[in-house]
Amino acid sequence: MDLFLQYLANGIVIGSAYVLVAIGLTLIFGILGVVNFAHGEFYMLGAYAGVLTVTLLGLPLIAALVVVIAFSAVLGVFAEAILHRALRERDMTSSIIASFGLAVALQNAALLTIGPRPMLLQTDLSMLAVEFGPVYLPLPRALIPVAMVVMVGLLFAVLRYTWTGRSLRAMAQHRTVARLCGVRVERVAMVTFMVGAGLAGVSGFLMSSVLMVTPVIGNMIVLKAFTVVILGGMGDIMGAAVAGLLLGVVETMTSAYLTNGLRDIIGFVIVIAVLLFRPQGLFGKSVERS
Amino acid sequence: MKAGLSLLVAAVLVAAPFLTGGYELQVLMVALLYVTLTTGLNLVSGYAGQFSFAQGAFYGIGGYTTAIMGRDLGTGFWINLPAGIVVTGLFGLLLGIPALRLKGHFLAIVTIAFQTIVYLGLIQWSGFTGGQNGILVPPIGAVSLFGATLFDITGLTAHYWLTLVFAVVAVWVAWRLVHSRLGREWVAVKDDETLAGAIGLDTTRAKLTAFVASAAFAGAAGVLNAHVMRGVTPDDFTIWISCTVVAMMVVGGRGTFLGPIIGAVLLTILPELTGSFAQYKLFLFGVLLVVIIIALPEGLVGRWRKSREARA
Repeated sequence: MDLFLQYLANGIVIGSAYVLVAIGLTLIFGILGVVNFAHGEFYMLGAYAGVLTVTLLGLPLIAALVVVIAFSAVLGVFAEAILHRALRERDMTSSIIASFGLAVALQNAALLTIGPRPMLLQTDLSMLAVEFGPVYLPLPRALIPVAMVVMVGLLFAVLRYTWTGRSLRAMAQHRTVARLCGVRVERVAMVTFMVGAGLAGVSGFLMSSVLMVTPVIGNMIVLKAFTVVILGGMGDIMGAAVAGLLLGVVETMTSAYLTNGLRDIIGFVIVIAVLLFRPQGLFGKSVERS
Repeated sequence: MKAGLSLLVAAVLVAAPFLTGGYELQVLMVALLYVTLTTGLNLVSGYAGQFSFAQGAFYGIGGYTTAIMGRDLGTGFWINLPAGIVVTGLFGLLLGIPALRLKGHFLAIVTIAFQTIVYLGLIQWSGFTGGQNGILVPPIGAVSLFGATLFDITGLTAHYWLTLVFAVVAVWVAWRLVHSRLGREWVAVKDDETLAGAIGLDTTRAKLTAFVASAAFAGAAGVLNAHVMRGVTPDDFTIWISCTVVAMMVVGGRGTFLGPIIGAVLLTILPELTGSFAQYKLFLFGVLLVVIIIALPEGLVGRWRKSREARA
């Protein structure tokens, strides 16, 4: 039982990282209809921005977090210009191929400038630990679910109570009508990408003390994020939050009780099953499938 | 003019081993393998209008079929080739079944999930697939008929010519398929599935055959690739290979016959021209892709056709 709780905690840590990446992906899809393959690169570059700020410049973690968010926001603006503004009125394949191209370019840009050597964020915090009964977590890990809850809460508050949030929701419902009602569509698109990239970047930074950072880490995380987005229902933020945690826990339990080899496969198997039997996602309302 | 140009291209391709060698020939051979892959993908995505990001997985299934049969059963290329086509065709059928229920990005994502499962399966099932190290595959070797050796396929040049013959046959088969009744059914499903169903077309059958055909092309290319490259490893069959094949098709022109062929050749050869900037090759490939997609939404051939229609 104790061991089970420990696995559960580990699963929630990984799952929280998935949630942050997947919410950005699902926002960009739900509001703008862009299938963004370069989303994993937002995660990777966010992780590098944080690790390099701390190790090269010696700045404190809070400053690094600010750098990560600012850097990710700029990256989001840049990505929006390429994947959305330049490709409006095109079908889904265009954004898939363009974002694939962007992902390859960003990944290799990171490889050329930073190099392939894996990095890990090590700070004074790494030595501290948190214990809840039988569950033991190093502090940097324990902070990940906390950060996730804070950020998702903030996002919900923004969506619910601010004008920007209202325009975002209006855009998600009907683009043309939103524009007629005075929503500044261009600005909303940019904000969506900034928020999406910011969430992914922060997730990468948080995970940089748990997993090694290399230029290729975005590849797997973007596929995991797609898994979460489908399980949660495309464009559904709450669904993505629940599905992300669930995927993290299922993966951890799979590697603990079955075999480590199945860990990365299990999510995709569930996705195929879900799409076959419940295409609107586990929690999604019934929507058209095309 | 058109016939003259085709003859010139054919002559250059056949004579390539005499004109160049080593690395350039290798690149040309890879381009021809990609021609088979994109032509296959074009059947399901360009003609039948169904997204698929699993071409890399089928390519891998073909390659591993020949590698594993060669290792465990001792069979050679000429037996493994039809076996590889059948096995990948069956996997295509397996993937085609969700295609009956899903459309657009949902289908795209199921194919991505399938691709990833195959890739991870190749790594994890190491007792069967050799895991991350892959499996070594011998060259095709002597080809004999009734005990008499006809020719020997071992070196690069011989493999190149075989790949060329292979690509030509693949393109010819695709041409026949597209211009058959089946091909017209695919286009009908792409244009308007509801209407196609209403006039009595079996749209399920049309979509399934398109999936199977496209998978079989990739499987055949995979079998050949395994022998030409002397081995298979999981990293040759990632989602990025699938994306590259899709990109080649889109850049050349989806749903046009020549487009994917031109796209495959261009996107294989262009990054190789970087010369002393070779370390920027992949970076430039990514940038090139973004630029082409933004500038030429209908692909090179689509654009050319459009401008010709505008003049006429």
